[in-house]
Amino acid sequence: MIIKPRAFFRGVHPDGHKSPTAGLPAERLPRIAEAVIPLSQHAGAPAQPVVQAGQFVKRGELIAAGGGAVSANIHASIAGTVKAVEERPDGRGGSMQAVVITAADAQEDAFFAPLTDPSGEEILERIKACGIVGMGGAGFPTHVKLAPPVPVDTLILNGAECEPYLTCDDALMHEKRDEIVRGAAYMAKALGVERILIAIEKNKPAAIAAFEQTELTVVPLKKQYPMGAEKQLIYCCTGRKVPLGKLPAHTGVIVQNAATAFAVCEAVELGKPLIERIVTVTGGGIASPKNLVCPVGAPLSALAEACGGETDAAKLVAGGPMTGAALTGTDAVVTKTTGGFLFLTAKETNSDAPTPCINCGKCAQVCPMHLMPMQTEFYTDAKEYENAAKYGGVLACIECGACTYICPARRPLAQAIKTAKAQLRRNA
Amino acid sequence: MRILSTAPHIRTRRTTKTIMLDVLIALLPAAVAGIVYFGWQAAVIIAIAMASAALTEFVWYLIEHKVWRGGRETLRAFAVQFDFTSLVTGLLLALCLPANIDGWYMPLLGSIFAVGVVKMLFGGTGKNIVNPAIAGRIFLFISFTAMTVYPAANFGPLLDDNLAIWQTNSNPPITPTWTPQDALETGATQLGNIFNLKPVLSNLDLFLGTGVAGCIGETCKLALLIGFVYLCVRGVVKWYLPVLYIGVTGLFAVALEGFNFVFFLPSILSGGLILGACFMATDYVTTPKSTLGNIIYFIALGLLTAGLRKATGMEVVSFCILLMNFLVFLIDLAIKPRPFGYVRAKKEAKK
Repeated sequence: MIIKPRAFFRGVHPDGHKSPTAGLPAERLPRIAEAVIPLSQHAGAPAQPVVQAGQFVKRGELIAAGGGAVSANIHASIAGTVKAVEERPDGRGGSMQAVVITAADAQEDAFFAPLTDPSGEEILERIKACGIVGMGGAGFPTHVKLAPPVPVDTLILNGAECEPYLTCDDALMHEKRDEIVRGAAYMAKALGVERILIAIEKNKPAAIAAFEQTELTVVPLKKQYPMGAEKQLIYCCTGRKVPLGKLPAHTGVIVQNAATAFAVCEAVELGKPLIERIVTVTGGGIASPKNLVCPVGAPLSALAEACGGETDAAKLVAGGPMTGAALTGTDAVVTKTTGGFLFLTAKETNSDAPTPCINCGKCAQVCPMHLMPMQTEFYTDAKEYENAAKYGGVLACIECGACTYICPARRPLAQAIKTAKAQLRRNA
Repeated sequence: MRILSTAPHIRTRRTTKTIMLDVLIALLPAAVAGIVYFGWQAAVIIAIAMASAALTEFVWYLIEHKVWRGGRETLRAFAVQFDFTSLVTGLLLALCLPANIDGWYMPLLGSIFAVGVVKMLFGGTGKNIVNPAIAGRIFLFISFTAMTVYPAANFGPLLDDNLAIWQTNSNPPITPTWTPQDALETGATQLGNIFNLKPVLSNLDLFLGTGVAGCIGETCKLALLIGFVYLCVRGVVKWYLPVLYIGVTGLFAVALEGFNFVFFLPSILSGGLILGACFMATDYVTTPKSTLGNIIYFIALGLLTAGLRKATGMEVVSFCILLMNFLVFLIDLAIKPRPFGYVRAKKEAKK
């Protein structure tokens, strides 16, 4: 079944750049020698390590347990010996706590027992045990999100994938349609809702056609960025607006990524924790772009090698080009939330020096939250953060980056917004 | 070394330069029409104004960045940051001057004032408070009193008692030696000779600019509208803002004349309204930031223009835009964003 979405009249239309990897089957990454598994791959408190150096772990064994109400378990993505639990560079110029595992020759799995016809509580319990987090990028622990404080009536699967370049969800929806549908059904059971929508942008006609034949209701969305942002997605699919300062659940809707649904299905039916995901490696600076199934903790250098090596990349990005993080080098690793690695050439990044603001107002015209980024930047430069909140509305920003993308003067608007938010948080 | 920055990592291809280039392209039909209608003088005025505007910015940049220390590097840096805004300013200034001005020094002085004083002195591109071209025109207008009596620079046609359009200040001769005295003495003029000037014009004449007195760029409304459509297609201006300005001006003029709709077309098609509305009032730098602010700004412009035209009997578009430019700051301060999902704070129920 198909329902027509509402339109939201802001946002930008960047070039898709999805063709190099669109429709490519997801290949398996060749065996890696060492996995560096970060302890903080999710929103909330970092996980606490439960293994010591020298210990042998099987694939799927718990190596770090969730360390708070909002946290997630982390499991070994390859079988081998724990080399160390130590500080490692995170590829972004900082460092992170990580469990380093050296691969053993024989790969042994240690998964949970499969569940047959589980109840809602069993499903939630399993999701928590398997350390499943939102795989769209924010990494919010799924078991927390599936226990909303208010009753809900709708589950939306987010297959919009509005970020340019990335095709990991597209590849997954191609190959694992039935698993995604079953995973969605498990999540709906845990939530106690009947209505399941799957939202897919129209630039993925094959995925839309595939899901039309299932019992899910398909919402074909206009190609527009940020269509996959939670608040905009809820509005387009249901016409409900998330009130400022409230959770999406307050509108009766829970949004989960399509990849998360697949992970839930595997966790319930195979007992497999979240230890691998599809990663899109693409961009003009890589020899042969690919969708790769990678274990969590696989180093970027291994991925680059599997894709024929980099050619003339000027910028490395983990995640999508609109919200991802720039990397200092190839020592970054795959995490539960990594949708892709981009090797962008200088031409693609188009990063000229900023010129003076000409007050064109395009940033405000494209802002999906109806804010005034130019005011935020103006007052942030003057260190008047209160005014940035008053005239720019910075506290409601979802950091989608549309303003900075569209700016003809190349102003670093998103950077100013992040600065203002951090300062306001500090002052509060 | 990798490029490091916060997200997003891709940018649109549009830059300030390409936007300004679009404005120049959009003004091209009007400039060509002006040259066709008014002859080589118009071309000379346009060339002088544009060249001196760019040169003013160049000289300012060299002094500001101490060319005597930087040398060739400074020149290269100028070329990188030059964004065509001063060329737009020069062209716009030339288009709102009459073709029959006294001498070449007027566009020169106007451009130097517009770019040097109004723009660069306030900090360059994006920092000026009022539109440089408008300020340059008004500077010339009040400095050279002769210009105020040039009919071409003044309000064009009006309606007579029989509600036919006739030319109040018609027949501007093109000869540079022309003086206001000549206009009183000579009935037929060069312009009249060229176009077989009719004593009574039609709205079509006003639209095409045939036989109509006016500044270089503002007589041929067709050429201006072609440029305006181009700007709208390229997404440089929002189509509804100039339409709002022109519409409000026409309707308010109609209202002031006792709701006589005969006045609608002549008042929107005469004078510099269309040039001002499509190309000058829409200048990014001197308009409010928000869409709501822009709507308020353009409605206020329309009311002011029609009202002041009725009160003074003169062409006042440039003065209205100048006046409203000063109020932009207040409009911006009055409007605060209302985010998506904003809930109006409920008043507490009375107990």
